[in-house]
Amino acid sequence: MGGSEGIVAFDITKKFRAAAGTLELGELVKDDFFSLFESVGALEIMDPKMDSGCLAPGESLDEDYDVTRPLSPGEVIGIIDQLFCLEMAWYQGYPLSQTLLTNVYIDRMLEPEPLILQDADFIRERIAKEQRDPMHVVLRAYCLGLVKCCWYINDRIKFEHYYEEEDFVTNTYHRSLLDSFDLNDINDEIMAARRLVHSIRHRIGNELAQALGFRLELRTAFLRAIELSVMRSNPESLSLPWTQMKAVWEMIYQSRHLGQPVPEAFSTKIQRRLASTMPPRPIVKLSTEETYKHFKKLFVDGINVLNVLNYHDSQSLLVLTYHQNFVMTFQSQKPQPLVYIRTLLQSFLFKDMIILGKLSIRHVLDDDLSLVVLPASKFLDPANDLVEAPHHPRYALAHQMELFRQRAAQSYLDIFRAFCQNRCRIRRTLCHSIQDWETVQVDAEEIDQLLRLQIDEKPHVYPPTGDEDTSGVEPTYSLPLSSWAYLYKLRLMEWIVQLGFELDIYAPDELAGMYWYLSDLARHRARLVDRISYFTKLRAAEEKGGATAAQEAAFIRSKHYLYQASFDAAITWEMADAMSNMYAALGRLGLIVPPPRPYSTDELRYDVRMKPFGTIGLPELPSWEVYRASTDRAQVETEKLLEDARLSLEQAQRGLEVVARMSEKESFSVGCYERWLGGVTGQIRAVEKAGVVVEVVMRKLEEKGEGTKGKELGLKVGIGKAAEGEHEWWVVPTVEEIDQRA
Amino acid sequence: MEQTSHHDRLPRELKYIQYEHRLETQYLPAIRALISKDLSEPYSIYVYRYFLYQWGHLCYLAIDPNDSSLVGVIICKLEAHASHSPPTLRGYIAMLAVQSTYRGHGVATTLVKMAIDSMKARNADEVVLETEETNIPAMRLYERLGFLRSKKLHRYYLNGNSAYRLVLLLKPVDPDSAADLALDEADIYR
Ligand SMILES: CC(C)(COP(=O)(O)OP(=O)(O)OC[C@H]1O[C@@H](n2cnc3c(N)ncnc32)[C@H](O)[C@@H]1OP(=O)(O)O)[C@@H](O)C(=O)NCCC(=O)NCCS
Repeated sequence: MGGSEGIVAFDITKKFRAAAGTLELGELVKDDFFSLFESVGALEIMDPKMDSGCLAPGESLDEDYDVTRPLSPGEVIGIIDQLFCLEMAWYQGYPLSQTLLTNVYIDRMLEPEPLILQDADFIRERIAKEQRDPMHVVLRAYCLGLVKCCWYINDRIKFEHYYEEEDFVTNTYHRSLLDSFDLNDINDEIMAARRLVHSIRHRIGNELAQALGFRLELRTAFLRAIELSVMRSNPESLSLPWTQMKAVWEMIYQSRHLGQPVPEAFSTKIQRRLASTMPPRPIVKLSTEETYKHFKKLFVDGINVLNVLNYHDSQSLLVLTYHQNFVMTFQSQKPQPLVYIRTLLQSFLFKDMIILGKLSIRHVLDDDLSLVVLPASKFLDPANDLVEAPHHPRYALAHQMELFRQRAAQSYLDIFRAFCQNRCRIRRTLCHSIQDWETVQVDAEEIDQLLRLQIDEKPHVYPPTGDEDTSGVEPTYSLPLSSWAYLYKLRLMEWIVQLGFELDIYAPDELAGMYWYLSDLARHRARLVDRISYFTKLRAAEEKGGATAAQEAAFIRSKHYLYQASFDAAITWEMADAMSNMYAALGRLGLIVPPPRPYSTDELRYDVRMKPFGTIGLPELPSWEVYRASTDRAQVETEKLLEDARLSLEQAQRGLEVVARMSEKESFSVGCYERWLGGVTGQIRAVEKAGVVVEVVMRKLEEKGEGTKGKELGLKVGIGKAAEGEHEWWVVPTVEEIDQRA
Repeated sequence: MEQTSHHDRLPRELKYIQYEHRLETQYLPAIRALISKDLSEPYSIYVYRYFLYQWGHLCYLAIDPNDSSLVGVIICKLEAHASHSPPTLRGYIAMLAVQSTYRGHGVATTLVKMAIDSMKARNADEVVLETEETNIPAMRLYERLGFLRSKKLHRYYLNGNSAYRLVLLLKPVDPDSAADLALDEADIYR
């Protein structure tokens, strides 16, 4: 044994055997650090599902496919089309080992690692160009382009925030994905192959030549799209290759019948040679139809995501408000865009801490503050920064505002990052974010106090009493920064509840309560928006006369935003009230029956459900008693519950119809208007469906009389998945009339 | 799943026993076989021993008395969960399976109840588990007993399926403990 210096090797087999002999079978000797994780990672030798070297009798270790055999054009198309399925499976989150690295041609091309491009070939032997099988040349060029694409995509994803294994597997098992080769050289190979196909079109037939050409063209365009995406300007030119891919993809799909499958060119055995302890796992097989749909969606999303860059109206500074809408609507698509597209979205938004490639975080944060709480405020005046005298109030303003920006910037950007993740993670991440925003709000309040001293703000009685005599009522200050933080926090809390509906987290008998809580949060938000509007109006009135046109415009914009925000909150609470009342009635009528739950109590389940909100001080989590009383509304008759639901739905519908008529600008949805409008109309349909449910139940109740329950009512209620409903945040049950004698 | 002959026997005829180390030779192969049937990835023997050796008292077997064959099994653990302050005593249901021909007779329900009772007797604060989002029978079973879905875990399993984390709280939460959203031990257990 060539041991290192100072280490003496000796045989412990005997000793070990003797010691092990004193153990009983199954007795476990472990130290305290041997965890479940280690035990899950342990392998069992000679179990074919765990031991990668374990072979079935007669099985060979490696696949014995001959990559040098001549290929027909149909076979090349067949192989390429199979590679599309594997490529898509990888984009969806399956590892390379079970997808692209099961292809023998790619494997031979990458292993042993080629040092020059000429060696990046599944046939390493040097053959004169003229003598090569043209189909080998085509397949090689295609694979070069494919692998290089993968390298880029892997690299970009790793650079942004994502969850390994959950969203994507970046592991390449020590295979180099042509990392060091120049993109231009690879492009040249593809172009050469395209020319070659063209030159032999008469020999192989036009149809096959075109089909091969489309496939190569797609690779060229894909590489181009990736190459361009690092630039964050000029979305029109960025979108060209995506549009090209979208068109070519249709041609590829239409020519799929020309392909001849070559299943032998794919093998799980290759996994044994990868740097992994995993035994071979099956190839992930997406169907051609699924693959087609997902690629098509990928290209459409690739075009759409560029719209995030499209807002460049320098007059308006409301950049991020638009982008909140953009990200929200983009990310709530079903199915969600692939992780690569979400990576692009993140890099467009935040790369190098420069928002959308041109704006500083300060710029963005100040825009948001100006829109929501501080239109035309001297707090945000850039001239403050120029004051050098430390005793000047403007110097203090600049200093305090900078402190606040430093405090809030990360929390602010985290919200956007969170929304670029998968839906489950968004909800989990927001549960952390609200704890963070709780402290942002507290810190903001401290800075608010310092700022108001600097400008000598006069307190006001809020809410206004209407009386002349305000003695005995404590006047308050505008508190802009903490109001702003509180508004975000409330919105985050609402999102957490709404995502709970979307992800089917709540049990049917929890729906009444969770909609009540959502309504409660929306009411808090509406009250806060009212308060903000009140103080903004006061300030606008005070500054009337002295205000410049730009300041006037800022006030108007803010007023418009606040109007829209309070409208949105009102719609949410009306709809949530309606749902809460409807579900409470369904529960009371025995149409939704809770399971027996012998091991739990209502209060303990409330604790579990509300855990993310338990540590929030404002708004304080309602006590279990308040929650139950507000949800059950025991003193209210069932007919009245249903009637209230009906009235709230009417209100919500009226509100939504107004919203649906808003323009792109009014609704802050430039660049995502269609998706945004789709959301609004989905909500309208949900309202209508809920209206039908309420009506049917009311009618049956009237027919059968008070006190009729469950089956006797002749109704059956079902609750489907949120994703299958009209709008993922509004879970509307189905009612079915049944023969109650049955 | 092979659903050849459905048993009409009553589960009352079955024998329910707590696992003990001396049963390893007789039952461990059957336990592994039963659980592996519904898994895309097998667990190594160390995973079973990890649980059985340390928490055999939280593992129960349903046995057919006629031929002493294994009908169902539940495997759990119970540990202090450190990401909490103060730490909670958390039960975890790691594996549960019933022979397909015996399903629908309350065998799994009985096994889960025995495990929870045993955890309760040992002062557990809560019991958690994950289940595939498509596993409707399992979710119904747990939700019937009082579990709630607390979060959804995206692509939690190697087959690409998502999971729900289910939680059964046995004692009120300490109002001061921070929201439990950190990486759970169960998060690494895929
Ligand atoms: C999930 C699983 C363990 C359930 O086992 P099971 O023994 O059939 O479960 P139970 O019999 O306790 O409950 C199933 C149904 O039988 C009903 N049932 C309960 N007691 C019954 C009784 N005494 N007689 C008749 N039916 C009964 C239950 O009400 C339940 O009905 P439901 O369909 O309305 O939910 C079983 O399907 C299984 O092994 N699946 C594969 C492994 C797995 O998924 N494990 C869970 C991983 S977390």
